[in-house]
Amino acid sequence: MAHFAKISEDNVVLQVVVVADANTVNEEGAETESVGQAYLEQHCNWPANLWIQTSYNTESNEHKLGGTAFRGNYAGIGFTWDSDNEIFWLSQPYASWVKNISTAQWNSPIGDAPALTAEQNSQNNSKTNYWIYVWNEPEQSWDLTDSNEHVN
Amino acid sequence: MYNGGAMQKKVLSEISLYQGDVSMPKGFEIDRSILAIDTLKHSFKNLIDPSVGFPFSKSWDMLNTYFRDHIKVKHHLTLVNKDTWGNLYKPGEVTTPLLQIDKVDLRNSPDYVLLYGVSSQECSVRIHYNDNRRKGRTLDMKLKDNQFIMFPSTCMYYLTNKQQDILNFVQTITYDFI
Repeated sequence: MAHFAKISEDNVVLQVVVVADANTVNEEGAETESVGQAYLEQHCNWPANLWIQTSYNTESNEHKLGGTAFRGNYAGIGFTWDSDNEIFWLSQPYASWVKNISTAQWNSPIGDAPALTAEQNSQNNSKTNYWIYVWNEPEQSWDLTDSNEHVN
Repeated sequence: MYNGGAMQKKVLSEISLYQGDVSMPKGFEIDRSILAIDTLKHSFKNLIDPSVGFPFSKSWDMLNTYFRDHIKVKHHLTLVNKDTWGNLYKPGEVTTPLLQIDKVDLRNSPDYVLLYGVSSQECSVRIHYNDNRRKGRTLDMKLKDNQFIMFPSTCMYYLTNKQQDILNFVQTITYDFI
């Protein structure tokens, strides 16, 4: 089975569909994107160039089954197709975050959140607290938050 | 920066209206004449057998798919089809007030009503809504060719064909929201 993302003319993913192998292989029996695109244009009334093949097993530019990553991430509704880098991007989480082409993920301008301390992890495990770092866009910082405080 | 202290807002219910054009990719435009012909055919068949549904067509499917796809991405609304039909309005015709919910069967009533201008010249839609204690407010809108208006099914509305020469064709699709 092959998966194809239906995109709008401004490159936003509208739908993801599955196409049977028989409808994506050429005369030599090789899976070919253009064959699937032509099939989808005919049956789904949407231009062939707005169907982009996507890999079900690719996430963060890695193939979950050890194969070759394909187009950054498995496309989802609302993702954006970046034809220059051949990557499906999740929505930008914050205005300041920047694309990391090699991981096909958005990164904060100051990098990843700090690691939790052993004590914080211990409290998380015992469920007395739930410490997480939350991005603070106005301050451009990672804020340590106990999300248990918001429960109830 | 003032953050409002502890003053927060929760929206319990809202009356949202969605409108716009159905802008299909070039070469894949909706053939609205098919919808108009189907409306005519259906109106005759319906005289004989009221249980006959509106015919499925490529044009109707393109409209429905476009609308559902785009409103999901843009406004995060997942819509499920409930019913559909086409209407034609004579020159100068003003419809009776229309309401797509059955007040004694809300469970099986739709959530939203979509009106699509199949061939609509000087067609206006008046939508009635309540704004908290201010009851019976109205909003007047024009429905042009290839444009849509979607609003909650609890709103009563009526259409007016304001010109004196030709028929107006309007497609209605009702949806459930999940």
